[in-house]
Amino acid sequence: MTVLENYDAIAKCNKCGFCHVACPIFRSTGHESGVARGRLAMLRGIIEKRIEWNEELEDPLFTCLGCEACTTNCFGAVPTAELVLAARGEYYDKVGKKPAHRLLFEHLLPYPKRLHLAARAAAYGKNSGASKLANALGLLRIFGRDLPKAEGIVDKLPTSSFRGTLKPGTYPGKGEKLKIGYFVGCGIDVIQIEAGKATFAALQERGKSVTVINNCCCGLPPYSYGDIENAKKLAKKNLETFEGLDVDVIVTDCASCAAFLKKYPKVFKDDPYYERAKRCLPKVRDVVEFLYADQPVGATGQAPVGTYHDPHGAAATAQKVSSDKKVIVTYHDPCHAVRGQKIRNEPREILKKIPGVEYKEMAEADWCCGGAGSYALTHYELSQKVLDRKMDNVKKTNADLLVTSCPGCMIQLAFGIKRHGLKTRVVHISEMINYMETKK
Amino acid sequence: MIGENFIRRMEEIVGKEYVRHSHADRELYSYDASLVNGIPGLIVFPGTTEELAEVQRAAHAAKIPSVARGFATNLSGGVITRDGGLVVALARFNKILSINPESRYAVVQTGVTNLEVQEAVAPLGMFFPPDPASQKVATIGGTVGENSGGPRCLKYGVTSNHILGMKMVMANGEIVDIAGPSFDPPGYDLRGLVVGSEGCLGMVTEVTVKITPKTESVITMLAIYDEVPHAANSVSAIVRAGILPLTLEMMDNTIIKAVEKGGPCGYPQDAAAVLIIEVEGMVTGLKEQADKIVEICMATKCREVRVAKNQAERDLLWKGRRGAFGAICNLSPNYLVNDGCVLRTLLPEALERVVAISKKYGCPVGNVFHAGDGNLHPLLMFDSRNPKELEQVHKAGVEIMELCAELGGTISGEHGVGHEKQDAMHFIFSGNDLNTQQAVKLALDPGNVLNPNKIIPLPAAGKDKLPLTEPTILKRLGGAKAAGVAEAIASIKEARSAKKPLRVVGGGTFNGIGNRLAASVVPLATDKMTEFIEYDSDNQFITAGAGVTLAALQEKLASHNQWLPVRPPYFTTESTTGSIVALAAAGPERQAYGAPRDMLLGLQYIDSSGNMVTTGGKVMKNVAGYDMTRLLTGSLGSLGCITEATWKVSTKPECCHMVGATGSLSNCNAAALKIIISNLLPVSVVIVPQGADWKLLVGFEGLEMVVPSQIERCSAMMVLAGLKPAGETSYPLLTGGHGDLFTGIWQQPTVLQADVVIARVVELYEGLAKIAQPDNLLLDVACGRVHAGFTKLSAAQWKEIDTLASRCQGHACLVKAPDTFRNEVDLYGSPRREWKLSHLIKQALDPERMFAPGILPGRV
Repeated sequence: MTVLENYDAIAKCNKCGFCHVACPIFRSTGHESGVARGRLAMLRGIIEKRIEWNEELEDPLFTCLGCEACTTNCFGAVPTAELVLAARGEYYDKVGKKPAHRLLFEHLLPYPKRLHLAARAAAYGKNSGASKLANALGLLRIFGRDLPKAEGIVDKLPTSSFRGTLKPGTYPGKGEKLKIGYFVGCGIDVIQIEAGKATFAALQERGKSVTVINNCCCGLPPYSYGDIENAKKLAKKNLETFEGLDVDVIVTDCASCAAFLKKYPKVFKDDPYYERAKRCLPKVRDVVEFLYADQPVGATGQAPVGTYHDPHGAAATAQKVSSDKKVIVTYHDPCHAVRGQKIRNEPREILKKIPGVEYKEMAEADWCCGGAGSYALTHYELSQKVLDRKMDNVKKTNADLLVTSCPGCMIQLAFGIKRHGLKTRVVHISEMINYMETKK
Repeated sequence: MIGENFIRRMEEIVGKEYVRHSHADRELYSYDASLVNGIPGLIVFPGTTEELAEVQRAAHAAKIPSVARGFATNLSGGVITRDGGLVVALARFNKILSINPESRYAVVQTGVTNLEVQEAVAPLGMFFPPDPASQKVATIGGTVGENSGGPRCLKYGVTSNHILGMKMVMANGEIVDIAGPSFDPPGYDLRGLVVGSEGCLGMVTEVTVKITPKTESVITMLAIYDEVPHAANSVSAIVRAGILPLTLEMMDNTIIKAVEKGGPCGYPQDAAAVLIIEVEGMVTGLKEQADKIVEICMATKCREVRVAKNQAERDLLWKGRRGAFGAICNLSPNYLVNDGCVLRTLLPEALERVVAISKKYGCPVGNVFHAGDGNLHPLLMFDSRNPKELEQVHKAGVEIMELCAELGGTISGEHGVGHEKQDAMHFIFSGNDLNTQQAVKLALDPGNVLNPNKIIPLPAAGKDKLPLTEPTILKRLGGAKAAGVAEAIASIKEARSAKKPLRVVGGGTFNGIGNRLAASVVPLATDKMTEFIEYDSDNQFITAGAGVTLAALQEKLASHNQWLPVRPPYFTTESTTGSIVALAAAGPERQAYGAPRDMLLGLQYIDSSGNMVTTGGKVMKNVAGYDMTRLLTGSLGSLGCITEATWKVSTKPECCHMVGATGSLSNCNAAALKIIISNLLPVSVVIVPQGADWKLLVGFEGLEMVVPSQIERCSAMMVLAGLKPAGETSYPLLTGGHGDLFTGIWQQPTVLQADVVIARVVELYEGLAKIAQPDNLLLDVACGRVHAGFTKLSAAQWKEIDTLASRCQGHACLVKAPDTFRNEVDLYGSPRREWKLSHLIKQALDPERMFAPGILPGRV
């Protein structure tokens, strides 16, 4: 969709400004270019020909984290992130910069093996201190000006990949009947390998069989750059892979992948692949949903953890003070889980039931951590400001463990923990489950 | 207008990254939440007051108009520059500087949002009462600039009632501190003037806000109606019954649907209208009040009243109400919202006519508004992409403002005039009223560079003033026609031609107040202005001539079980209501009930050229124009002769009880401070000497059902602080519990009133005792005020007292002093920088020094 085709959606913003309060970028910059109202005003300015397509649009279009907090705070639910992502593609076309990202999107992401190779090369370079190699490889160079500062974000890259050690294929599980497909996201595959192992173990506990899928990238990265064509290419490849699988569910432990896989039908709107995408949809599960549904006791029907508060009435809810010896655990909502898939209570319920855990909710748990895929690399300074706010909230919980369910968030949060000198450890929720099960 | 050099200069001051001027940036700062827009020439983001001052100095020198901007949720175009000027974005002023619960104030920068203030003080059991619906995103700067209301201001009053002081950058870049954490500083009520001035008088960077203890409990009800007029009738009936709810909000079916479409909030979609009614207070008796409200609602044809069962349900209802404006986009891309006020009892008529206007112009309307205050918010829907619709909606908006003026109300209750309602100011103000307001603006901004050409309609080309027309729509009673006014006008004109200054006199009680006059004056009597011009008990206001005594006013109000909740110290039965205005006098109940500034809805006065000036009106909320009412309140008759005042009145409390306990001063004080920040809701907290010991006296007023429980808990707190119970007494409503003590103080030749922060009252007293032991004394702890009478006080001692009061973050003045003493010294102490502003205003409004020359602080 071009900006013009989205005119109605864009014009729906009546500038009430409620998005200001929810936007992590606006709260960091205080600049109108960094908030939904401003971004939409800009798009409307383009349509109404007050604004031209030129480099001045870069900030309003590219500083958006895509976290969708504005949409949640918007009574009209204007999908600003979607509208902005769509406009990014047009920006590249019209402003004329041929995005170097395409290299990545076209030649690396569709081919897991090439990605493994690239990551390994990068890992050797980085781990040996020759981090320039990562640049030389062209894998990261594309991310632009802030990269040199951002190189420290990933502490140490593993030298092998998840699927390098656990080859795609079907493995027996301990469960009775469920045939589970495990969709391995790139982040899990090449960086958060421990989380991947934990997920695999948890799935083995529950399934009759677990199939490690030979999938490629879900397609979200090109989609985020407005490169719908490449996103579709990746999605098609995955759909074809899925169709060849004999599984009951497809589980992934990356909230971003899960959210995007669920979005496939939308991506293929007006495309012959639409029906195929729709057929696949019911099988896709975020690992959090999957584990939650599997719990002996189901949903507790607890009221949602609201972001709206009227302090005059609602005295700050007192947190229970811990009895000693318990591990204090808090949870960070990945944007693609809480808003992308409306997963909010499930992880909390899971964590609260783990013996020895004292769950402490942190303030603004559903605020973006600033990672936002490659955002931490392309907009290092801004992403760090967003992260600082998150770290302040983590600090206040005094948590031993900071749990989440997205490998991207994990990288960013771990970097924040290190920079702020906290003792908290970042873990994937699958690792918590695994921990519980090994305790049994 | 803005050239390269100016941009470079800005970059030098604030740093390059905080100066923006690309085409895209300018587009982004060309709008607010209203329909007004204008492309600025430049946007700067200063980080400190000093930087801002330097920016403003440069802008002033270059004659570049500038406008301060928070998060731009303004609904009247107030933060838009229409002259390609400078936008000063205050987003970096985002810190809460201090919170002082024991003295009930906090200091916050203007870029902090209202909700952030609420969240910061909530853990202390306090809150900041102003709560504009957009509180999540509205900044304190904007709240102050617009004198915002919000649902809670039905009970707590508008923003101005809760602002104690501010740091402000003037048009010329000077930094000035206005007032502060202590009550009622000498000179004109500048903070009252600045609040609601829409950024036209200065750029505020820090605000001292008053914070208030949360009540023990709250009950939230949703009353559901099948017809809109029935809901409006319930509103009137509830207020008429003498109940003061926390909120009385109305939403009609259109709004309910828009809100529910954005996410279920618990509103029934088949209702014609709902009321969100909250009552709060002590747990004891609250349920009964809620029951009474339910009874009234059902008697006025309510379908059903639901009570929110828990905080989550309550939050959800408020989420829907607060998000209603934004939710309109579920029905239509744009809306134009009016915020005129009418008398509450006229709501049914007003709503009916709004519907007719909406039909006439073909713009659908939804209503969501502060019904208890009569503050309408018709949201007219349209699509701004269609120029015809835009034109029609503007016409409809104007017609709604005309309607409000015709019904005796105002064109803006809380959103401000800005650019959008500028021309409509003629509906309710005369040419002279508007010229007077503009004179105040130009007194503080002679170059007209701060947010210029807003609020006041512009004169015809080539003219610098508006013609002296009458309001085009609003009809007022009283004014020049009221008893005694024609004579006063004649006297003023006569005195003016004879070049003889005047002094307005009331009952004569306070002829000695203020600095010694600089010239001999002719007394200007108000004793003929004894008319009750309008009394509307249902709408809770009374307009009375300045010569009406307080006693007579109270008697009149008593006929409807109402009263004016002030008990000014030293008042006699002769003292006039005019003198309450002139002195802004209030007793120990000021913390609980507010000061005259908070009860005055409007005034009329004769200016130095003998013309009538009208300020305010008679509706509960009114932000049309500068707050001249507050400027005149406490002006000691130095700006004109006040002829009549319109007061907001209250239902009489059922009973007044005082509980006492004795002990050491420090124990009394410790108990007092605890009680003041508790949720016990005392009306007065006073410490007086009692032989060698001290006595703490706490007054409670209200329902028979509730007061005993307050007294009981208060007594327990006193005992806990080590005090000895000294019994409980009831006292008369009108004279209060401390009349005799004040009489004693007033018998002394020298009387001091010192205001400091609450926690430092005793410190002030102890310092005072070292300088000069008072012969009579009353420590009004709740108000942070010391009243003292001296048989003898020297100029040197006075100077020390003045210094002492400053050290305690306050100020002192002598409300009574012997003539010999008055010849020597300034009764308001050593000069303060802010006095200069008072003097500039005096110079602008009374250039020939006709009224009480020399009376002001600084002897001007």
